[in-house]
Formats: sequence, C-alpha cells, structure tokens
Amino acid sequence: MMWSWIPSNWSLIWQLTWENTKLGVLPALYGLVISLPLGVLAARWRWVYPPVLTVVNILYAVPSLALFIALIPAFGLTDTTVIIALTVFSLCVILPNVVAGLRGVPASVTQAATAMGYGPLRRLVTVELPLAVPVILAGLRIGVVASISLASVGQLIGVSSLGYLFIDGLQRSFPTEIYVGLFLVIVLALACDLILVGVKRVLTPWAARPQRQPRRQQRRQELTGAAS
Amino acid sequence: MITFEGVTKRYPDGTVAVDGLDLEVPAGKTMVLVGPSGCGKTTSLRMINRLVDPTEGTILLDGTDIKERNPAHLRRGIGYVIQQTGLFPHRTVEDNIATVPVLNGWPRKKARARAAELITLVGLDPALAKRYPHQLSGGQQQRVGVARALAADPPVLLMDEPFSAVDPIVRASLQDELLSLQAELRKTIVLVTHDIEEAIKVGDLVALFRPHGTLAQLAPPEQLLAAPADDYVADFVGFDRGIRRLSFVSTAGLTLDTGAVLPASATVADALAAGRPWICVTDGGRPRGWVDTSTIAALPGDTALGQVRAEPIGHPFTFGSDSLRAALDAAVLSPAGQAVAVDDEGVALGAATFDQLRAAIQAADGNDTHDTRQVQHAQQVPPP
Repeated sequence: MMWSWIPSNWSLIWQLTWENTKLGVLPALYGLVISLPLGVLAARWRWVYPPVLTVVNILYAVPSLALFIALIPAFGLTDTTVIIALTVFSLCVILPNVVAGLRGVPASVTQAATAMGYGPLRRLVTVELPLAVPVILAGLRIGVVASISLASVGQLIGVSSLGYLFIDGLQRSFPTEIYVGLFLVIVLALACDLILVGVKRVLTPWAARPQRQPRRQQRRQELTGAAS
Repeated sequence: MITFEGVTKRYPDGTVAVDGLDLEVPAGKTMVLVGPSGCGKTTSLRMINRLVDPTEGTILLDGTDIKERNPAHLRRGIGYVIQQTGLFPHRTVEDNIATVPVLNGWPRKKARARAAELITLVGLDPALAKRYPHQLSGGQQQRVGVARALAADPPVLLMDEPFSAVDPIVRASLQDELLSLQAELRKTIVLVTHDIEEAIKVGDLVALFRPHGTLAQLAPPEQLLAAPADDYVADFVGFDRGIRRLSFVSTAGLTLDTGAVLPASATVADALAAGRPWICVTDGGRPRGWVDTSTIAALPGDTALGQVRAEPIGHPFTFGSDSLRAALDAAVLSPAGQAVAVDDEGVALGAATFDQLRAAIQAADGNDTHDTRQVQHAQQVPPP
C-alpha cells in the first residue's frame, strides 16, 4: 500500500468517483421512473405482470458486459450505453418492489378509500403510492447499490468510472490503486444507501419503527413512574 | 330513506348472494342486517354505496335510483365504517377524519377543525389528533373510523361489522356510544353483524337473513324475540330469547312491596311486626342489605336494625327506567329472592318478589309490545 499515491492523484480519484456516482444514481432513478407506471399497470391488471416479469427476468440474466456490447452499435462507447444498460438492471430490481408495494396496500384501506368517494387516480396518488413508498424505496436502495458496483464494468468499454482504478492497477501490478477503488465503491454505495434511508424516514413519518419507539416510551414511563 | 326493490346479486359463477330482496330502511332509524356468513348481508350493504352493483332490481336513496348518481359523489354522502377500520396508516387521526371534507373541497384548516369536533363527539382524547392509527388501540381506531364516517355529516351511515374485532367490554361500550350518538344525530344507519345480541341491542329494526340472500324476518327486535316467524328465526335468536325479550319490558308496571323496606333506625320489633321473611334495611334511604327475620327473632326487640348483620343485596334496579330483565336478574342474585327497586337518586322504593315479576311479565304479554323501544333507549342513553 503506497499512501503517497492518493494525494498525488487526488483530482483523478475525485473525478472517477463523481463519474461513478452519476453512473450509479441516474440509472436507478430512470429505473424508478419507468417502474412506477409499469408497476401500477401490473398491480391493477394482474395478467400484465407475469409476461412483464418474464421479460424483466430474462433481461436481468443477461451479463452486463454483453448488454453493453449489444448497445454499442446504437449508442457507441458512451455514458449513454452504460446508463441504458444499468437502467435495465435497476428496472429489474425496482419493478417487482413497486408491484409488491402496491399489492401490499391492505384491501380494507383501498376499499375504504373507494367507499369514501375517491376516484381511481386520486386514490392511487394520495393513498396507494404513499403506502407503497417503504417497499419501493427498498427496491431503489438495491438498484442504486447494484448500479454503483456494476458501473465499474463500464470501464471495459472505456466509459470512465472507479473501474479504471481496478484495470489500471491490475495492468501495472499496483495494488494500492485497486484497494483505493474498492474502498471508494463501497463507501459510495453505503453513502447512497444511507441517504435513501434518510429519504424514507422523511417520506414515511407514519411507518412505525415498531419495536423501538414504544419500548423507549415504556422505559421513560418506568423511569418517571408515569402511568400509561 | 333507503329502499331495496327486488334486488338480486348473482355472480358470474352462478352464486346468488342476494335473492329478490325488498327492504325499506326508514330515515333516521337503525336497520341491522343479521345472519350467518354467506347470507348476503354484507353484499346488500355494499350495494347501497355501489361498491357492488345489483344484477337485478333497484335501490332508491330518498326516492332517487342510485344508479343515476355518480358513484364518487354518492359515496361522499354515505358514511362507511368497516371491521378492519380501513384507516389510512399514513395519515394522522385528524387527517383521517378530515378525509371526506377534504375530498369535498374544504380548506385543510376548516376540515381539521371539523375533525377536532368529531374527535370529541366520539369520545376520543383530543391529544390523539396528531397520532397515527397504529399508535391507537383497537377500540380507539374504531372510534376514529366512526368519526371519519360522520365527518361530512352524511344522512346515511353504513357499518359493516363495526365492532366485531374488539374485545367484548370495548364492544359493549362502543355499542352504547353508537346508541347515544344515534339518539342525538338521527342518521339512517344500516349495520351488518353476525351477532344477534348486537342486532337486538342497537337495532330499531332487524332484518334476519337466511343463507343465500333471502329475508327470514324483518321486525323490531322485541317482536323478533317474542314472535319468531319460524324455527330458523327462533334458532338463530337463541334459546334464552324469553329472558332477553324482558329487556324491552319496562318495570313501570311492577307492583312493589313497600312494607319490606325499613330504615336502619327501625327496631327488630318493627321488622317482626312487618310480617315479611326478609326486610331490606336502608341507610339514608339507600338499600344497605337484607335481614332474615327468622334469625333476628331471638334478639331484644329494641335492637336497631342498623346493628344487625345484613346480607348484601346484590344490585338494585331503577324503577321505571330499568327493564324487567334487570329486575329479574336482581331478584335472582338477591339472597332474599327479591329485587330492590330504587328511584333515580338510588333511594329504595320497595321490593319485588318473583310472583310480582311474573305478574308483570304476564301483563306485558297481554298488552303486546307497544312503546317498549323507549325503555331500551332510556336505559342505554346516558342523561345529557
């Protein structure tokens, strides 16, 4: 491990990290945007889902490098190629969560919403989607983390990411570079994941953190001797 | 008023859920649909707010065919309460209650103010307004459900097994509260239950369904108990219907034995002179206990009754406002085999023996069941 390599290549490291962030986050967001309408359709008309899921699973089974190569004739050796491929992979993990999230809304809740006079669209936007947020965000977290790590594969077709550090380090037999790359990919993935956890807390103040909160209240009550 | 005219619901697989139902729910009354599972009572309820559309027949709401109405608008004028509450987990209690006013285009602030009124109306602590549903008990959630259904002040309220998921004690208090709310609000309520006790307690009218969606009997509860139309109804109503029917008979016609009541200052000699096997001793007018005259005969005649050991009376009944069922229960529990009648202030008026109770029951059978509804309400609605 040659620590001095890090400060002397600071701007390269910084640039690669930024590229990798873009390649990780954008596809996951695009995947989410495509998954939402597809998921809504699949949750409403059940017969839509099995064929869609089959296609999605086949796409997911394609090796990432193969998908990059398949897209090169159309989009060249560009960011677009990598982003499209990673969007497909994100879609594959986010879509099932959108469907599961929407299907997980209790029937009594949707029925009550209908009985109170909600139209289908208003019910979807103000009741069903908000209730599906925790499950959808869980899918998004997997999508982001997967894209961040898969982005390095894009380096094989020359699209810049932290993957550069792996390939360069291997070719030059210079492990420091590989360790730095590995470390940064992991940190980046963890950071994005943490941000999404925060987003979830903000968006779903209603979602119980069931064990913790009541227990804390109970403790407080025990300590102060307050009656429930 | 809600009118079913020859309403049938047949599903594509041939199952008939409701079969040619004719039913009229008078405005301001509580109609209970009761029956075993699969009898079409819930389907009938859901046809009123068009969650289910009938295959044949029409349903009129205040004379208008509900098929002519936009479903969403129709539903905003019909409160709906279900067993699983159906509260929105992502909205606070006040926002849950404000749902229909907000749908009707009220500003949020006004809707929340309305929610605050309802929170008080259904007997919830105003501090719960900002809580989420999962932070409430089952009974509290059900109250929020009722408040939400009432928020836009709809003339009609549909309740689908509203109290089935809570424990019996909470259920009884929710039923009592529904009765007192209804005494105040006079909504047209259709309530579905499989519990005949609940039907008899909260209904002005009870529609008892047979399996596969036909009516077995439609009658006020006391009539259902007194004169079941056939064996099916009698079976469903249960074997102790004779005693339960007494809930609807007032104690006002009961003859009381006033000579069996003596104050604590009276003496043993007074008690023996009364010539009763048991004397109810009072303290400041209130019944204190039963004294067996055969066991005090040996005591000096000038001993005050307050000094003598007395048996607990069990519970008294309030003369005039309690039902004969309460009086009979009081007599059964009393060591003297007699019930102590008290007035609204709890002052003992006299005692009623089994013979006197039997005479009152026979008298009630004679003059049928008119105006007995008031008895039940008087008993369950707390004074304002």
